[in-house]
Amino acid sequence: MWGRVLARAAVMLVIVLWTMFAAGPFLWVATISLRTTSEFMAAPYALPETWRFDKFATAWTGSGYDTYFTNSILVVFSAVAIVTAVGAMAAHALARYRFPGNRLVYLLIFSTIVLPPQITVIALFQTLAKLGLYDTRVGLTLVYAAVQLPLTVYILESFFARIPADLFDAARIDGYSEWATFWKVAFPVAMPAIATVVILNTILLWNEFLYAVVLIADDARRTLPLGIQKFMGDQLEDYGMIATGLMIAIVPVVLIYAIFSEKLIQGMTAGAVK
Amino acid sequence: MATVTLDRLGKRYAGGGAPAVQDVTFEVAHGEFFVLLGPSGCGKSTTLRMIAGLEAITEGTLAIDGKRMNEVPARDRDIAMVFQSYALYPHMSVYDNMAFGLRRRAMPKAEIDRRVRVAAAILGLEPFLGRRPHALSGGQRQRVAVGRAIVRDPKVFLFDEPLSNLDAALRASTRQELIRLHRRLGATMIYVTHDQVEAMTMGDRICIMDHGRVAQIGAPLDVYRRPATTFVAGFLGSPPMNLLPATVADGRVRLGEATLTLPARVPEGPVTLGVRPEDLVPVPEGPLRGEVVAVEPLGAETILSLRLPGVERELMLRAGRSAPAGLGERIALVAPHDAIHLFDAATGCRLT
Repeated sequence: MWGRVLARAAVMLVIVLWTMFAAGPFLWVATISLRTTSEFMAAPYALPETWRFDKFATAWTGSGYDTYFTNSILVVFSAVAIVTAVGAMAAHALARYRFPGNRLVYLLIFSTIVLPPQITVIALFQTLAKLGLYDTRVGLTLVYAAVQLPLTVYILESFFARIPADLFDAARIDGYSEWATFWKVAFPVAMPAIATVVILNTILLWNEFLYAVVLIADDARRTLPLGIQKFMGDQLEDYGMIATGLMIAIVPVVLIYAIFSEKLIQGMTAGAVK
Repeated sequence: MATVTLDRLGKRYAGGGAPAVQDVTFEVAHGEFFVLLGPSGCGKSTTLRMIAGLEAITEGTLAIDGKRMNEVPARDRDIAMVFQSYALYPHMSVYDNMAFGLRRRAMPKAEIDRRVRVAAAILGLEPFLGRRPHALSGGQRQRVAVGRAIVRDPKVFLFDEPLSNLDAALRASTRQELIRLHRRLGATMIYVTHDQVEAMTMGDRICIMDHGRVAQIGAPLDVYRRPATTFVAGFLGSPPMNLLPATVADGRVRLGEATLTLPARVPEGPVTLGVRPEDLVPVPEGPLRGEVVAVEPLGAETILSLRLPGVERELMLRAGRSAPAGLGERIALVAPHDAIHLFDAATGCRLT
């Protein structure tokens, strides 16, 4: 009896500590986002004396966050849409069709995961410059879609491979083409896995910094991570505005998670096909 | 309604090896319930999938209503198929599962709705139309799979072991439902199973397959009474037909130390003698005498195993509720002439 209570208490303690560890910095940044840099420097851990919500408006209009936010939305959402569609089609083809070199193609796609971005970024820079895509949102979008493709194919392929072949046979007899079967059967059935890659890719790309800083130069095309970096000067760092920018930046990620999280949990917990 | 004609149909997979299906020839008549029966790996499912258009035909021809179908894609063959796994689309409601195939055919919405509701009424699925497959029992899913075939009103229905995922009680009642459904629709149906009870009770004709070839085709009772090969004889019936090595000489059959009169003229030499367990009758004095080595009381009947002197394999006897003899006792048996089957010892083909 007491043993069980103690065990529960221990589990609770771990959960509480972990939550504090994870949520603490977030709450701290949230308080900073409502204070000015000088207030913050005077007392870093204090709660806001005046809740300066107007800082959000200043950041949005005065510091160009509206532009960065729009750029991030355009680039990241397009890249996620492209990588999801292309990745799902590739995964479906690799999981379902037997053709010579199937595993070789899979291995080639997957092996690029081991390359760190620092290795490819210079080559990508030169390639985009040659194609006239340097310093464009289209260029960054394509790069984002490409770098996330291997992981996307990897996650989706294993899921598509578990969809019973009978479903595709049934769709064939029902009169659907391979193309229609993919969109009307395979894709919706794989929704839990699709949700997983959508969330994962959105979070990773939303926070992506290296490719953005190398491939984008013009302030009007910067994404949010670059915009926030603007407040980190050589001499002076505007912590208050950085925090405000961060709070604006996390909104879409939280929204995406809220929309897809149920499917995400399904995808991670169960063989959702049966 | 349609006829389905297979002419020397064969399937050879790339990469060599023995063909999965070879020389399969039969014609299924309008409105016939035709059963493909055999053990797993005998080629029955492959044959069905070739009829469906899910497997490419590598030899022979397939015709539906006299039209060659070898190169026609599955969707244009006007067939519907019920899968062993049911293959219901998990993300669609029961209604959408049934309507899915009709929507592809650009059918007016009202007509789709009418057909789905008619099929749901026939199968008792009306309360479940809004549910997803995962919220249904095994029997209900099976009915949705059948419903999906019915709404299409196809020329030919194909069934691939549709009852094997159901428990025994449900299997028996669903079998009856399918028989009634066949009578009601009067459609041509081809049904694959490894279950001889399904084959015997449902089929107008059955085709028994062995190693990718047709072993015998006929009405269930004809096949049961006159099996063409030892394979068919051993496959149908539970317990199966006794198949014992014997020798024909001087117009008689010698079975171990026993001698039986020949039911018909056959060439002299080694043969396989077949006799069904239920055709053996215990008598006070008879030509077959043996010792009871096992008694299996099943309630409605009793299965006895006998050892005959000079015969290696045991002889099974199906008796009534009470055993005619106990363990270790000796018993005499006769078999009527027409119950004795003789097969070629080498080829297994019927001689009489």
